[in-house]
Amino acid sequence: MDMTEPRALMVIGAVLFGLGVVGFLTRRNLIVMFLSTEVMFQGVLINLVAMGLARGGNLHGQAFGLFVLVIAAVEAGLGLAIIVMLFRRRGTLDAEAWREMRG
Amino acid sequence: MELKTLAILIPMLPLIGAALVGVVGLRGLRDRSHWLVLTGVGLSLVAAVWLSRIVKGGVGEPVVESLTIYEWISAGAGSWLNVTFRVDALTSVMLLTVVGISFLIIMYSVGYMRDHHGHAERGYERFFAFLGIFVFSMTTLVLAGNFLLLYLGWELVGLSSYLLIGFYYQRPAAAAAAKKAFLVNRIGDFGFGLGIFLIYLTFRTLDYNAVFDMVERGVMADGTLLETSRITTIALLLFCGAMGKSAQLPLHVWLPDAMEGPTPVSALIHAATMVTAGVYMVARCSVIFASSPLAMTLVACIGAATAFFAATIALTQFDLKRILAYSTLSQLGYMFLGLGVGAFDSAIFHLYTHAFFKALLFLCAGSVMHAMGGVIDIRRFGGLAKGMKVTAVTFWIGGLALAGCPLLAGFWSKDEIVHAALYSNMPWLGAVALVTALLTAFYTFRMIFITFHGPLKLPQGVEHAHESGRWVTVPLMLLAVGAALAGYVGATWHPGGFAGLFETEGPIHHFLATVFAPAQAVLGGGHGEVGSHGGASYWATYWLMYISSALAFWGIVTAWYFYRRAPMVPGAIALWAAPVYRLLYNKYYVDEIYDVVFVRPLRRFGGLCYDADRFFINGLLWLIAAVPRAIGYGLRGWQHGAMQGYALAMVVGLLAIMLWALIRSAA
Repeated sequence: MDMTEPRALMVIGAVLFGLGVVGFLTRRNLIVMFLSTEVMFQGVLINLVAMGLARGGNLHGQAFGLFVLVIAAVEAGLGLAIIVMLFRRRGTLDAEAWREMRG
Repeated sequence: MELKTLAILIPMLPLIGAALVGVVGLRGLRDRSHWLVLTGVGLSLVAAVWLSRIVKGGVGEPVVESLTIYEWISAGAGSWLNVTFRVDALTSVMLLTVVGISFLIIMYSVGYMRDHHGHAERGYERFFAFLGIFVFSMTTLVLAGNFLLLYLGWELVGLSSYLLIGFYYQRPAAAAAAKKAFLVNRIGDFGFGLGIFLIYLTFRTLDYNAVFDMVERGVMADGTLLETSRITTIALLLFCGAMGKSAQLPLHVWLPDAMEGPTPVSALIHAATMVTAGVYMVARCSVIFASSPLAMTLVACIGAATAFFAATIALTQFDLKRILAYSTLSQLGYMFLGLGVGAFDSAIFHLYTHAFFKALLFLCAGSVMHAMGGVIDIRRFGGLAKGMKVTAVTFWIGGLALAGCPLLAGFWSKDEIVHAALYSNMPWLGAVALVTALLTAFYTFRMIFITFHGPLKLPQGVEHAHESGRWVTVPLMLLAVGAALAGYVGATWHPGGFAGLFETEGPIHHFLATVFAPAQAVLGGGHGEVGSHGGASYWATYWLMYISSALAFWGIVTAWYFYRRAPMVPGAIALWAAPVYRLLYNKYYVDEIYDVVFVRPLRRFGGLCYDADRFFINGLLWLIAAVPRAIGYGLRGWQHGAMQGYALAMVVGLLAIMLWALIRSAA
């Protein structure tokens, strides 16, 4: 299978996204969970590029992907900052420490 | 200086003074804050005098000018409404009266709003700021050149009045009186507002010149004939506003209660200036009123009725300020009587003289109240003349002027009104006015003899009656000079006239003649012409002046006899005519009747609305809000707080949606 074929790229994206979901659901460490969301993000990004390719091979998909990357970088900074704050509050990175949002 | 600059400066200077009190008075100046407002109003007075000199011009007719200050509201093509000032003889008379009296009263307030040690009262700065705002509002009202600006000034003086009646807002009575004044005025202003709407609908403009011109020609904006019923409706609606502001029957109830405010306020706003706004407005719209015989009759009848009604109440009251308040009602009634019989210039003349002597009387009452430690009931003091010479003498002068004693201010103007009424088509109104003159002389001197003469009597806690300081006595003396001499603008030296000396036609009549000429033309000339009796004989011209002088003296002597010679007589009369006495003492039970007819049903209706709101509407809202609450209660168990749980739910949901989409696209 040609790895530059859109279908192959989409499969890679889907795999990355799936890995991210599984990681997010199974790990308790906030930083690892955060990394998992980033993995999901990359999966979606690759999907974007693949679809741009599928729609005629112009650069729209890649250009859009670059924008998303920048946004993702900003979001990563924000997310890490939140995690730092959470860590300062409880002194642990365990997600279980934040179970007080119970109904 | 230009007319326009002066016209802008007159209202703005007091406003700037008031604003500065707000900025620096509260921090730095405190009990010297009066200087700002006093200076502002003083300069405004100078500007008013200057303006009047320009208006008077040389030997010819007084200047009449409309000055457009700026474009206020523009709509469609061009300006729809401008801030326009109208400057003419009527304006300048009003400005001189308002600003002049205000200046003296602000001066008086400097001494009055302090305790015996000269410490300023609580809210001293606020008081002067409000007075500044009042002068600004009243001068705006008087200068206005269109009905909307007039309405603006009208409401602004209402606001100042509300603020100043409620100056001692910690006292429940003062707060209630302020509220009452505001509400009763609202009723009148509602009519006034409707009148202005109707003026706009009829003439498509609110500008004085254009409206009065069309009324004079008897046409509407589209050129069709102006029907009498239309102009009558306009006049009656406008008069509603005048009844509220000038406290005429049946909207008079707020004015006696307004005496809860500080005495300078009673003198300035509720005697000399603001309450005369209604008289000014009717005089300003003289063409409109003159075009409607019905409105003129109503104005005259209400005026005469109020004059008589208020004078009878004043006979029996014991509160010095309330007696003066009823006297003010009565004198305002005279002014409306004058307007109603077409003697517009006499009404304005009376407004002007009344401002002097009534302000003087109130300020004297304030001086007495100050010396008596806040006591105002005339039964609790007496014989104060020895201790308070200046107050007593000036009160006498004011009282004589009010009673219509010959050659003092009130005599000239009141007599003119009575004369005009007697020679109108409703002479019986003139008769009512004459009887009222007798009552006026009596109640005025009842007050004077009880307060200032006889053995010394002081309320508890007051050791001696002491005269007030210079800040108080100087304005009293100046106003006393005014009360004595102000009438001479309405009389001229004329050997062979009244008392062999005077003719009852003076500069003020010529000065105002141009303003009222259109109205007199509409009335058909002759009607209400005062002073010029053509070739009539001496007695035909002057008999009334002798009669009214005699009535004034009769009233004064009766008061002297009743309260100095035979103190048993008034009590005996009160017993003999007990029902009448009770009726008068309780002010014809008007407040009680209003309470039963209006206040209580409305309050019950308000209670009903409140309950409907509380039970029905609130209940409905609670019911609606209960739905999400109940759902939330049911779903609350699902929220367990574990982040991964939520994520899992999201993923499962996502998968479900994807599955559904796949199945749909497959099918």
